Amino acid sequence: MAAIDTTGLTKEYGDLTAVDDLDLTVETGEVFGFLGPNGAGKSTTINMLLDFTRPTAGSATVLGYDAQTEADEISPRVGVLPEGFDIYPRLSGRRHVEFAIETKDAADDPDGILDRVGLSPDDAARPAGDYSKGMCQRLATGMALVGDPDVLIMDEPSSGLDPHGIREMQDLVRDEAERGTTIFFSSHILEHVEAVCDRIGVLHEGKLVAVDTIDGLRESIGGGATMELMLDEPASGLCDSVASIDGVADVDASGRTLECSVPEPSAKAEIVTTVDGAGATIRDVRIEDVSLESLFATLTNGESDGDTGAGRSVPPKAAETPEVSE
Amino acid sequence: MTGHIPTVARKEFEDAGRSKLLWALSGLLVAIVVVGYTAIWYTADDATASEVLGFLGFPLQTIVPIAALIVGYMAVVGERRSGSIKLLLGLPPNRTDVVFGKLVGRMAVVGVAVILAFLIALVLGAVFFGSVPIVDWLGFAAVTLLFGVSFAGLAVGVSAGVSSRGRSMALVVGTYMIFVALWELLTAGPYYLIHDEGPPVEAETWYLVLQQFNPMSAYTTLASNVVEGTVPPFTFQYGLEEFEAAQLTPAERYAGDAPFYLQDWFGAVVLVFWLVGPVAIGYYRFSRADL
Repeated sequence: MAAIDTTGLTKEYGDLTAVDDLDLTVETGEVFGFLGPNGAGKSTTINMLLDFTRPTAGSATVLGYDAQTEADEISPRVGVLPEGFDIYPRLSGRRHVEFAIETKDAADDPDGILDRVGLSPDDAARPAGDYSKGMCQRLATGMALVGDPDVLIMDEPSSGLDPHGIREMQDLVRDEAERGTTIFFSSHILEHVEAVCDRIGVLHEGKLVAVDTIDGLRESIGGGATMELMLDEPASGLCDSVASIDGVADVDASGRTLECSVPEPSAKAEIVTTVDGAGATIRDVRIEDVSLESLFATLTNGESDGDTGAGRSVPPKAAETPEVSE
Repeated sequence: MTGHIPTVARKEFEDAGRSKLLWALSGLLVAIVVVGYTAIWYTADDATASEVLGFLGFPLQTIVPIAALIVGYMAVVGERRSGSIKLLLGLPPNRTDVVFGKLVGRMAVVGVAVILAFLIALVLGAVFFGSVPIVDWLGFAAVTLLFGVSFAGLAVGVSAGVSSRGRSMALVVGTYMIFVALWELLTAGPYYLIHDEGPPVEAETWYLVLQQFNPMSAYTTLASNVVEGTVPPFTFQYGLEEFEAAQLTPAERYAGDAPFYLQDWFGAVVLVFWLVGPVAIGYYRFSRADL
């Protein structure tokens, strides 16, 4: 049974199609990255999984239960870290977790949960209205973990967190995955998705444009890494010996730089020993993975700009999913 | 499944209990009782505790609904706009639990404030006027409690049925204005247009039914039946109706034996109506809304 399954899931707001005929399957036990720029329809999709928003067409199931008609079966088995949520400013952090425990009829210890998400007992005793954005994020994560959910749905979990907090959150996701929790991880930031996910679905303008593993996605655009060796002497003499190594696709020498295209990761060490063994002096080695950014550009624009360097996040799109009004 | 209503209600009550606004409103209610009792004790020599209790009806009919509307009007829509409803609905409680949990929680808040005010009235009555009119007191407290929770329900219903805070406030304020300031214009006005004269004391039944459905006069009618003396309704008069008529209950204006829906006790049904109606509409709209 799939943890999450959508069939032709569509949401229209007037003329705007926020989610367009989405067919998505998340298998039990995997960490699934849901990637796309802001406004791509990620939150709208999640809102439909949780029955916050009703689809215009199509349907979705979570743990085999229909998201609309059997929502009451889903919520006790799922932990949700929503996007754009707020806490109850007058209630303490601890009371929030206690409330989650009451509603889930769980046996969790509130202090244990708060400790797991990095809220100190002092913080937990304070009204949540005093919390920073990051602390609210931690609190909501804690509430989502209550009752050891089968599926954890996290919408932009890293928002408001500092780099340290993001690492802690990623550790927590890996921990939960170890326990067998299925994780649906939505983000517009590639490196966050890349860091924890087994498979990635890329959403663009409401449409799913790719679903694959990270490696699979890399391969699909002729992936592999580029390795550059900066030498003390002209590099041209080394081309042939390096090119003969298994797992090296292409070698190019320009001046004192040897540029190798290496689809097979383990070949990298052999390149270094070969060059070193030939008596050359290596001043520096640079390795660049094919970035998901260029991959994303390929998927969404139908062309690759070949850029492998620059920023790693998907640039936000102007069109946000509109707020719903009646 | 609606098993989470008590959990949500408890959280609501606890949350509201930490609100300064609520404490201010309870304080105001208590202050009115204290000031009223003290003033009467100073000025009137021969007042009895049960008469003084009746005097409370006049300020209470204004303050209790305003307090209850303030307590309730943000209940659901406030969470919808802030986004905390996503945290709440992401947990097992569903929309039914949210609406009715909030309804119960906010009604409890209003109830506690009213009961507090009445307890103080009971003590002050004994201290200043030397008697404990327990039957009057119980009846009057019960009627006021119903009045308060009715308006709390009205406000929670509105808050569930709209998608913005502004709309909720506009509807709640507008409704209160209709009850207090515009009721005569809206009922006697059309009557005047139809008949070319204002409604007489013994008006047609449909007109009396309309009068019966004003929750303000429903409260004062009920209150007048349980305390000594009468509690006059505080509503704006435009002179479309004779002054005498405005002071009478629909049952008194009916020629002969009034049908059950015009009798005084029916005011309790009217108050329940203003609780149930808005909640039903608000719940219907909320359960179908995209959040």
